[in-house]
Amino acid sequence: MQRDPNKFWNPYVAGVALGLVLATTYLVMGGGLGASGGSLRMGIAALSLVAPDHVAATPALARAAVAEHPNWLVYELLGVVLGGLVAAYTAGRLKREVLKGPRISTGSRIALALAGGVLMGVAAKITRGCASGQALSGGALLSVGAWIFFMAFFGGAYALAPFVRREWR
Amino acid sequence: MIFPIFPSHELGLVFAVVSGFGFGFVLERAGFGRAQKLVGQFYGYDMSVFKVMFTAVVTAMLVIVVASGVGLTDFRLIADHATSATFVVPFLVGGMLVGMGFVMSGYCPGTSYVAMASGKVDGLVTVLGTIVGQVIWAEVEGRPGFARFHNSTALGSFYLWELLHLPDRAGPAIVAVAVVLMAVGCFIGAEKLERLFASKADPLATAIPGGRPRRFVVAGLVSAALAGVAMLALPTGSRAGTLEVAAISPADLARRVFDAPWSLRVLDLRPLAECAAKRVPGSECIPVDDLPKLRLAEANAAREIVFVGAEDLALPPAAAGYPGKLAILKGGWKAWEAYALTQPAPPAPGAALAEVEDYRFRAGIQSALTGMKAAPPAPPPAASSGGGTKKAGGGGCSG
Repeated sequence: MQRDPNKFWNPYVAGVALGLVLATTYLVMGGGLGASGGSLRMGIAALSLVAPDHVAATPALARAAVAEHPNWLVYELLGVVLGGLVAAYTAGRLKREVLKGPRISTGSRIALALAGGVLMGVAAKITRGCASGQALSGGALLSVGAWIFFMAFFGGAYALAPFVRREWR
Repeated sequence: MIFPIFPSHELGLVFAVVSGFGFGFVLERAGFGRAQKLVGQFYGYDMSVFKVMFTAVVTAMLVIVVASGVGLTDFRLIADHATSATFVVPFLVGGMLVGMGFVMSGYCPGTSYVAMASGKVDGLVTVLGTIVGQVIWAEVEGRPGFARFHNSTALGSFYLWELLHLPDRAGPAIVAVAVVLMAVGCFIGAEKLERLFASKADPLATAIPGGRPRRFVVAGLVSAALAGVAMLALPTGSRAGTLEVAAISPADLARRVFDAPWSLRVLDLRPLAECAAKRVPGSECIPVDDLPKLRLAEANAAREIVFVGAEDLALPPAAAGYPGKLAILKGGWKAWEAYALTQPAPPAPGAALAEVEDYRFRAGIQSALTGMKAAPPAPPPAASSGGGTKKAGGGGCSG
């Protein structure tokens, strides 16, 4: 079979598929999907290896370290990685590389990816969820906060985009 | 009502991997493991992020609205369970920062895992950055200045249909139809914008194929929306008129308040001052004269309503017409106080296992509600012949 790594699903079909995955998750678990909660749990696990006393002494860390739901989210992320791996492999997109525009060095791109990641990590904790946990899972259930997040998210991204154009174009 | 299933912890974890797999697979196939395709949204050449996300939101919303309409589940129940409370200012500020992090890193936290899985080093770095950022904010969010911001402008669980003052039962379906109409409008706009940008001579702009809208998807969304409208006509719950009033014992109420608080709505009908002083955890203080204001006949039928009076209570007339289940606390507040707020007498040594269990449960409730720790039950006599009584005195209220 001819495989074209540049061929993606029609966005509307992908959206419907994603929505069905999300709806199934609601109906089975009573909860939605997420990515940042699981990240926090893994970060805390790593931190407790280095400084267990500190984790126990900081209420937000200690609470997240014993809560049940983040545990579920870590398993979900394991599934996300497996699903992404299988999909990328079968589509011929599994390849070690750094994605960037033609006008930026690899080092700068990695630095920006790290900075962006840290910024998103901090901000997604403030908003009690990221694009998947808040906008997607909360938006579908018509939470006012999720729709505020959705609009602020696009607003923030459009506002910064012209300044990092070199990174991509 | 069948859904949500709320599986056991272990089964839930298995399901977590399965649903995560679906999530990751679809994101990858949508092209979301690729940073340029994601950020294309913000340079106008590829609207996939918006299209996929909004279509997913609409699809999931319609599934739950329809399932709720035919009585398989309850929209409000899932929403209360699955969404976070709303904090206006933190969400505005944080949302913008997530958006900025998104154009810098090229991913959102979810898609960075997919990018990592497909071998993208920048995705891996973003994952690590997100983890560090999450821990940093968890570290500081409890500190005075940060906590004030983190918890400011709290509105609790707050939904669009409440914002629009729509009733709880029909509200989600009405808003859902509006969202679908908005989505169809936005999709048409997004297609126009894409074509506009593609027509500008920019070689990179056409490098990533976007995808044409498919009539059947639009048709599917519209027909699902029509199904949602049809749901409005269906009487939800459909038990209106037949008033079943069960009496619930304090022990059963305590179990439900602790194990499944989302399935209950406890209304305390005693005078405000008494209710304000002490009440069943999670209950609402509604003096009996104010009950008509709740308009229970129009309320969502998902949760069973339990009325608490000072003593035994006849069903208040204002409760008539509530489409869901109703119950009255047997013996009223007096019985609750006697059961849950007074220390139970420890069982005699050698008591039956069931009796010891019952004691442990009551003592646990009592200590949880009053802050008082009860003495553990006396251990069974060491030289007991039967050996039928297992460890009774173990670990306090860990049950």
